[in-house]
Amino acid sequence: MTKKQTALYVARLGLTLFLITALVAAALAAVNHITAPRIAAEKERKTQEAIEKVLPGGGKLVDPGRYDNQDGLVANVYESDAGYAVEVTPTGFDGTITMMVGVSPEGKVLGISIISHTETAGLGAVAASDTPDGESFRNQFKGLSGELTVKKDGGTIDTLSGATITSRGVTRGVTAALKCVAGMG
Amino acid sequence: MNFKKQFTEGLLTKNPVTVQLLGMCSTLAITTSLFNGLGMGISVTIILICSNVLISALRKVIPSQIRIAAYIVIIAGFVTIVDLLLQAYLPDLSESLGVFIPLIVVNCIILGRAEAFASKNGVLASAVDGLCQGIGYTVALVVMSVIRELLGSGTFGGGLLNGGLGYTVIPDPYPAMKIVMPVGGFLTLGVVIAFSQWLISRLEKRNKKKEAAKV
Repeated sequence: MTKKQTALYVARLGLTLFLITALVAAALAAVNHITAPRIAAEKERKTQEAIEKVLPGGGKLVDPGRYDNQDGLVANVYESDAGYAVEVTPTGFDGTITMMVGVSPEGKVLGISIISHTETAGLGAVAASDTPDGESFRNQFKGLSGELTVKKDGGTIDTLSGATITSRGVTRGVTAALKCVAGMG
Repeated sequence: MNFKKQFTEGLLTKNPVTVQLLGMCSTLAITTSLFNGLGMGISVTIILICSNVLISALRKVIPSQIRIAAYIVIIAGFVTIVDLLLQAYLPDLSESLGVFIPLIVVNCIILGRAEAFASKNGVLASAVDGLCQGIGYTVALVVMSVIRELLGSGTFGGGLLNGGLGYTVIPDPYPAMKIVMPVGGFLTLGVVIAFSQWLISRLEKRNKKKEAAKV
């Protein structure tokens, strides 16, 4: 091949790959256009459902300037007359646990609800499940306040069997939510 | 085109999981419940058929020097489309499969079929190949899921039947939790591979007998 032919051939390769990429990008844009609103609505629905679980009646989003986010675990705070719903994101055994913690105006836990997680199925994932073990794990936080730790660390929280690290993560999240509300006054 | 031959190959003699040993990462990671196994299997099958068809249709347009790059772009496109659709319409499945849906991009089954089959065969044959290999992958995943879920969590059909809880077969303190953990995945995979090898050897013996009878 002469130099000119080589250059033309390389240009053809580039153009073919560009066309394929452009085609795929266009298809993705079209699909994204249809699914994006649904995905956003689904996320919003999940968050609202979690707030409703820990703070009956739901709440309004609080301005981030009003609370102190010392551990950096607080994502959002929602407020109503019945108390607060604090969205916290502690780290579990395998990635971030996103959960909602309901806190009464007196600074006591009203309830917790786990929105999303990637914990081990059958072990850490029990914390978020609807099984009796999961329910009793989450319910033990109700009415508690102050600095919470698991029994292994000298605290009061029963860990899930085989999931100490997940239990610690959830406990740390609850403590961060309590601190956040305490700091709001 | 020989549908029966392609089907037997996909399901048994060239099964992507138990014989070609491709796509091990997702196979070991997500086969913890029937819902996950079936969801992953069907997702991969759909992507495999779509990418096989498109790659086969474009096989004369794509120069061989850039074929791998072109295949990956096409596969990644279909995977992202399926990922977005799952997030929008089946959020529960999307959540429980998590990162393993985007990871289908690097699942060797799909690139493997593109390179070994779709780039050399017609559109229809490639679609059938995608379907057969996909069914083989799905069946292998479902078998592993059912075994691991039954022995590890003591249930059948978790996330799918009985309002998502599944039917309890083995009551609470008895299931061996380790089976749903990674180590149980390897153990189950070994047993499933051994069983499929036994099936293949039986099939071969029968075929030999048939041929001998003909002669």
